[in-house]
Amino acid sequence: MTRFKELDPILHSQLRLAVISLLVGIEMAEFTYIREQTGATAGNLSIQITKLKEAGYIEVTKKFKNNYPQTLCSITKLGKQKFTEYVNDLKDYLSPKQNAK
Amino acid sequence: MENEEKMMTGEESLRIITEMINKTKFDIRQGSFYLLFWGWLIFVCSLSDYLLQKFTDIAHPYYVWFLIIPGVFVSMFYGFKTGQKAKVRTYAGTLYMWIWMGFLIAATVLFIIQSKRMDLVSPYILLLAGLPTFISGFIIKFRPLILGGICFWILALGIYFAGPSFYSLGTAIAMLAGYLIPGYMLKNRVDHDKV
Repeated sequence: MTRFKELDPILHSQLRLAVISLLVGIEMAEFTYIREQTGATAGNLSIQITKLKEAGYIEVTKKFKNNYPQTLCSITKLGKQKFTEYVNDLKDYLSPKQNAK
Repeated sequence: MENEEKMMTGEESLRIITEMINKTKFDIRQGSFYLLFWGWLIFVCSLSDYLLQKFTDIAHPYYVWFLIIPGVFVSMFYGFKTGQKAKVRTYAGTLYMWIWMGFLIAATVLFIIQSKRMDLVSPYILLLAGLPTFISGFIIKFRPLILGGICFWILALGIYFAGPSFYSLGTAIAMLAGYLIPGYMLKNRVDHDKV
């Protein structure tokens, strides 16, 4: 089995990659939506979102909707760039030429 | 989602990326409400206008078109409520919304320009309405809506040459072909959750 320690460690984690992959195609999403789509627990998701935010890959906005707190997440320009790089690196690793080595 | 620090293979990474990207496609169900609502409203107005002109002596049959005004408010209220409930905003959804907003603005401008001859506005409205219908069909990859947009343009041309007495009837047919049939097909689509 091939392992990919060289890939961006921020993105090379199941949940963080899922969050970024979800956000890359949309303008913004609520925390609850991301939790529903990824099937993650609120605690785990919260930790991973904080890591992505600290890395500058996503932006987190906190608001109130009908008197309830609402957390909105959106991908940043850096996040999009890192995601593209990650996908390109992944393609290189998965290409037959690379795998044959 | 499992432990975040678990090492992944390339195949697993690709699977996660594909799975998540597929989940973020525009929810087309919200589009079917507007198609059916406006389809029925304009269908009823245009057919009533046609029947009143044809079979009665009512002085101002076009007054039925004032139903459009509460229609705009109902539409805005629905849009506001669904916008509040929405947990996600997609690029396609935003594009879809602004295309229709653009049509609403263009139609309002047209009504102002043509305010003295509202009886002649139908072919131009159909011409305008064809564009957002056609583009929306491409956004949600739904052929009946694309064909609906084309029907609007064909009927705009048809009623323009057929003359004003056919305007209302042509508009009613356009509503059937461009909004109501695609709207019901969209609503009853087999894979109804996400497309």
